[in-house]
Amino acid sequence: MIALLMFLAVCAVLLLGYPVALTLGGVALWFALGGIVAGVISPAELLAMPSRLYGIMINETLIAVPLFVLMGVVMEKARLAEDLLEAMAAAFGRVRGGLGVSVVLVGALLAASTGIVGATVVTMGLLSLPTMLKRGCSPAVASGTIAAAGTLGQIIPPSIVLVLLGDVLSSAYQQAQLAQGIFSTDTVSVGDLFVGALIPGLLLVAAYILYLLVLAWSRPHLLPQPGLEQRQADAEGLARRLVFGLAPPLLLIVAVLGSIMLGYATPTEAAAVGACGAMLLAALRGNLGWRQISEAGQQTARITAMVFLILIGASVFSMVFNAYEGDELVHRWLTALPGGATGAMICVMLLMFLLGFILDFIEITFVVVPIVGPVLLQLGLDPVWLGVMLALNLQTSFLTPPFGFALFYLRGVAPPQVSTPDIYRGVVPFIGIQLLMLLLLALWPALATWLPDRVYG
Amino acid sequence: MLQRLALVNRILFQLAAALTVLMALLGFAIVLARYGFSFGSIAAQELVTYAHAFVLLAAAAATLADDGHVRVDIFYSRWPASRRALVNLLGSLLLLWPLMGFVLWSSWGYVGNAWIRREASAEPGGLPWVYLLKSLMVLFAAQMILQGMIQVQQAWRDWRGQGAA
Repeated sequence: MIALLMFLAVCAVLLLGYPVALTLGGVALWFALGGIVAGVISPAELLAMPSRLYGIMINETLIAVPLFVLMGVVMEKARLAEDLLEAMAAAFGRVRGGLGVSVVLVGALLAASTGIVGATVVTMGLLSLPTMLKRGCSPAVASGTIAAAGTLGQIIPPSIVLVLLGDVLSSAYQQAQLAQGIFSTDTVSVGDLFVGALIPGLLLVAAYILYLLVLAWSRPHLLPQPGLEQRQADAEGLARRLVFGLAPPLLLIVAVLGSIMLGYATPTEAAAVGACGAMLLAALRGNLGWRQISEAGQQTARITAMVFLILIGASVFSMVFNAYEGDELVHRWLTALPGGATGAMICVMLLMFLLGFILDFIEITFVVVPIVGPVLLQLGLDPVWLGVMLALNLQTSFLTPPFGFALFYLRGVAPPQVSTPDIYRGVVPFIGIQLLMLLLLALWPALATWLPDRVYG
Repeated sequence: MLQRLALVNRILFQLAAALTVLMALLGFAIVLARYGFSFGSIAAQELVTYAHAFVLLAAAAATLADDGHVRVDIFYSRWPASRRALVNLLGSLLLLWPLMGFVLWSSWGYVGNAWIRREASAEPGGLPWVYLLKSLMVLFAAQMILQGMIQVQQAWRDWRGQGAA
């Protein structure tokens, strides 16, 4: 019970706005102190801290995080995104709704490498919102498309959140099997999760595109076709722009994903290659000087420190949470729910959806998944399927008014002519698509599990 | 005095920034060596791990100075500066210091033990500096406590300044 109280206290203090990582650890520590004074928990429960911290420091999988961040930051600094969007818009511009389609595709391609909701939505908003409005898109459709496209990166590999989720799930999976008395444990890796997320992610992209095309044909005034002049301007040098704008990032992402899927490289190795590839591409375009390298390094260090401080704070939290037997409490509750695994899953999904209003993907992955993951996996759920479901669920949460993260960030960079109700109205159809996708995946888990089975056997 | 000490955090951050790029290059070189020349080096791989550990720990304090650690800013972003200063003041005193004090206190013996044994890698061909790697924990906690002092100083000034005006 105290464990639950602690969770609620942390949520309350979080709302005050002090950095999340320090709040998680700090509040938990006060609860630990109280428990030690009251004689409820023993101080020995906390002495695992240094070896846990050391475990984080030498975790092989998590080394992929700074490397993927660096890859994303370099691509951003080299203005690859602008060129990509321009080339795509030119290529698809002649089709009705083509601009919207290209925004979705750019979001899917670029977001893949950063995966931090705010960053992607802001970049996409600054980049494509003015263009879309200039070409006569309705503000609602434009902002909905951008918010949705900006969150795509969560689920499309190689996203950082999938790396983090994969690492947390792999230890949860081991724990679940040991609890069931299975000692020759199966493993689940980041690579599994990448491969498993691929089909659902691409289906999602396809559904977004389909929606935009249908909308453009049925309501042309919302997504008008560009005028003849614009189309002629677009057609000029199209082939060259496509080659230089589209090919480099596409090649890079295919190379990174391909090498993981074919088993040539671990995600960490592929991330190192991807980061160097991004630097090479930037250098070839003449966009990489010492200043850019130094800025990219600093931004990478900042994001890395941010992510890992949350992990450190969350591990203090979960240490104290477990000292109060919170893990057993959650286990009892989840297994007592009607409907077995389905009931537990629905409950967890709802909880996470709500938490997504105040916490970012990273925090939820580090705080909630280690607690509920082992229980759900013990109930017999597939770890890859679970990971993809959680990712899709959170992505939907980030889009949902009035609290969705993506909407806040988009509001921050949107011009005043785009009203907040416009943004809310614009995302509704995309939320519908998300829910549909969740339902599909719930009914046919094979959408996530088939490809990893084929690739890894 | 405090400001000069903060410079240490900034310098360590710059070092971490450089290491992110070096990590990528070294990681790429390791992959090349393995597939191109069937050559693998445990030491090189451990070097990447060391660099990674340094980045995630030693960059944290300067990131705090740059306000780079995520906040739940639903309310925070709309509050007046004086209230935000109060949040930062109390947060540093009641959350940051106890947490980092705990990390420092709990890792002291752990790290000391590694020093006494001059702990080296358990892998053949690994690096002999595990005790230095573990020392990063102490460095991290100390850096954060120091940065907390600066945050307290600034937040106090902002809070008082706004309150008086």
